[in-house]
Amino acid sequence: MSAISELSSFSRRKGKATAEEKKANGRDNKAAYIFLLPWLVGLVAITIGPMLMSLYLSFTDYNLLQPPEWTGLENFTRMLTDARLHNSLRVTFTYVFIGVPLQLAVALLIALVLDKGLRGLPFYRSVFYLPSLLGGSVAVAILWKQIFGTTGLVNQVLAMFGIQGPGWISDPSTALGSIILLHVWTFGAPMIIFLAGLRQIPNMYYEAAKVDGATTLQQFWKITMPMLSPIIFFNLVLQIIGSFQSFTQAFIVSGGNGGPSDSTMFFTLYLYQKGFGQFDMGYASAMAWVLLLIIGVFTAINFIASKYWVFYDD
Amino acid sequence: MPLFSRSASAAAKQPAATSSTGARRPLRRTGVAAAAAAVVMALSLSACGSGSGQQSADGPVELRFSWWGGDKRAQLTQEAIKQFEAENPNIKIKPEFGDWSGYWDKLATQVAANDAPDVIQMDEKYITEYSSRGALLDLSKYEIDTSKLDEAALNAGKGPDGLTGIAAGINAATILANPKVFEAAGVPLPDDSKWTWKDFERIAADVTSKSPKGTYGAAAYGTDEASLGVWLRQNGKSLYTSDGKLGFEPGDIAEWWAFLKELSEKKAVPTASEVVEAEAAPLDQSGLATGKNGMAFWWSNQAPALEKASGSDLKILRFPTQTGSADDAGLWYKASQFWSASSRTKHPEETAKFINFLANNVKAGEVLLADRGVYPNSEVRAAIESKLTPSDVKVVKFIDQIKDELGEAPAPPPKGAGAIQEIIKRYTSEVLFNRLSTEEAGKKAHDEMKSAISS
Repeated sequence: MSAISELSSFSRRKGKATAEEKKANGRDNKAAYIFLLPWLVGLVAITIGPMLMSLYLSFTDYNLLQPPEWTGLENFTRMLTDARLHNSLRVTFTYVFIGVPLQLAVALLIALVLDKGLRGLPFYRSVFYLPSLLGGSVAVAILWKQIFGTTGLVNQVLAMFGIQGPGWISDPSTALGSIILLHVWTFGAPMIIFLAGLRQIPNMYYEAAKVDGATTLQQFWKITMPMLSPIIFFNLVLQIIGSFQSFTQAFIVSGGNGGPSDSTMFFTLYLYQKGFGQFDMGYASAMAWVLLLIIGVFTAINFIASKYWVFYDD
Repeated sequence: MPLFSRSASAAAKQPAATSSTGARRPLRRTGVAAAAAAVVMALSLSACGSGSGQQSADGPVELRFSWWGGDKRAQLTQEAIKQFEAENPNIKIKPEFGDWSGYWDKLATQVAANDAPDVIQMDEKYITEYSSRGALLDLSKYEIDTSKLDEAALNAGKGPDGLTGIAAGINAATILANPKVFEAAGVPLPDDSKWTWKDFERIAADVTSKSPKGTYGAAAYGTDEASLGVWLRQNGKSLYTSDGKLGFEPGDIAEWWAFLKELSEKKAVPTASEVVEAEAAPLDQSGLATGKNGMAFWWSNQAPALEKASGSDLKILRFPTQTGSADDAGLWYKASQFWSASSRTKHPEETAKFINFLANNVKAGEVLLADRGVYPNSEVRAAIESKLTPSDVKVVKFIDQIKDELGEAPAPPPKGAGAIQEIIKRYTSEVLFNRLSTEEAGKKAHDEMKSAISS
């Protein structure tokens, strides 16, 4: 029922192709490649090319102004003792492991409510999707800064109740939390996907369950969750990959320095600072590859773990 | 078209099958080769896109000129460009400007992409970084008249790589006071000829206690190296030594933070959160400009812009001292910024001509006035005297006033000095939020700074 399950059954079929089929496929492929050409050129020129370059640079000392010098694994060994890098990993992991589950939970909850057949559903769907369109943008990050400032909206509301709130984004103990909240707020994209998934669950299951006297909660755990698990998995993979690479929000909210006291210093932000602020592009390239590795490992773990909880209805 | 003009070593490491004929082979067998060929293509494409366009010898030449600064500076500078273009119809100047915060990231990227602007407004913190790596043109080889320039300012732009920057102005570290805030609090303005740091603390705390909530006697220092530099000089140390090392011990910077903490505890300066928020604010929204601070630490040339933003008649003050004598203030004349040129400019002659115009032409001076500091060219300075606005006059007067109290010129910031400000800022907030003791912060910051300038 989902894109992922279709993809895997497709690859299974492909393995059994006969020689004749292969020949025909070859002709089709040629046409396909020609149609793909513009995209391929783009992929190679602006993705793979720079990636290979950065792989090379990660083994060099490159200060942007002079040609790179080969230094072998030095950039990688330096990372082992770089306390700020370790801190940036801590910040990034906190962001991913708190932000992603929280965001998906909110997205699912809203999707469930909207799925109950609200009047004016398209309107609400758009309203709830809006933050996702805006959330990654610079404008909203700036707005966030105002809302959570020392004299911002949140503290003004708190002041009505006699509470003196902290400077949410300027206090090291709450700054990361504010950015996680911004991330959770942009739940629209996973929500839309959840909503589509919920729509595909056949109503007969619920009807049968009702006849058997299942409560709403039981229906949720026994029908909705298993049927929706491929969608949850899909969202989880996408969100984890996206969150590890998150940059804009922290960059804008902290004014580009990951502050206060490095409390919002994401891995990507530190990478940017090293490369473009401190003329250490070799090190920054090495960091980029470490990030790729981390994302790869977590995606692999996700796929392995999915065998135990994702239910494919095919 | 030269491929790999810059990174020939990278080209040598590519597989041999990267010739353009590779693309004509059947696609299925040559995935790797095609990819490699495309890499070459991509790199050469980016090389094509660099520079500021090639013109024929007699056609108009276009130069790109980038600077940081606020609205006022943008207006003045564009006016100066117009004057230059009127005199030199064959040269077009394309301005690129923005805030300080994004300026250096952008410049580093442009230089790396072989796409540097021809004329670059440069800061002393970065000039060694760029010139020692061959990114800046030695201007002494071109026709720029330096005979009228202030000697100290001229020397600030000289280094082992030649004359890579012409000082655009002279300024000094100051404390700017907003009399409106003092009046509202009923506190008299301090006498800056004999005030001590203790006086500063007392007066600032006094203003805070007599002002509405959210207004403070002074902004916190600790967000850049200028105030640290002054403090160190007053204590017989310096930020850098002439051989490019740190000129102070961890204990010295710890003391500086200890006093800041004292200021913070007595509410002479804003809370830690407010200090962090203020760091990110541009000049027009700073505490001094919005009337939230009675005093703040700024460079003298920024006074007119701040005066405009705050709408009040600011007073320029000397730094307080430990002894109560202005002779011990340890101030110095700083080259506010430099005119530099990219070493890869295609039009060095025209670039030099433009820099010469900015530095020596009265017409440029009449437009730019004192926005980038007091003019280093004595002739221009005299010629524009009558044109100066009252706020410019104040700045010029202040610079003259402190002439006999100056300490010796500080050593130029070494390579890597661009990272120092960020380190100071970060540990200042560690201290203000009580996450590190001043001693720990001093030690850690000192270590980090040491490695930043030694790499």
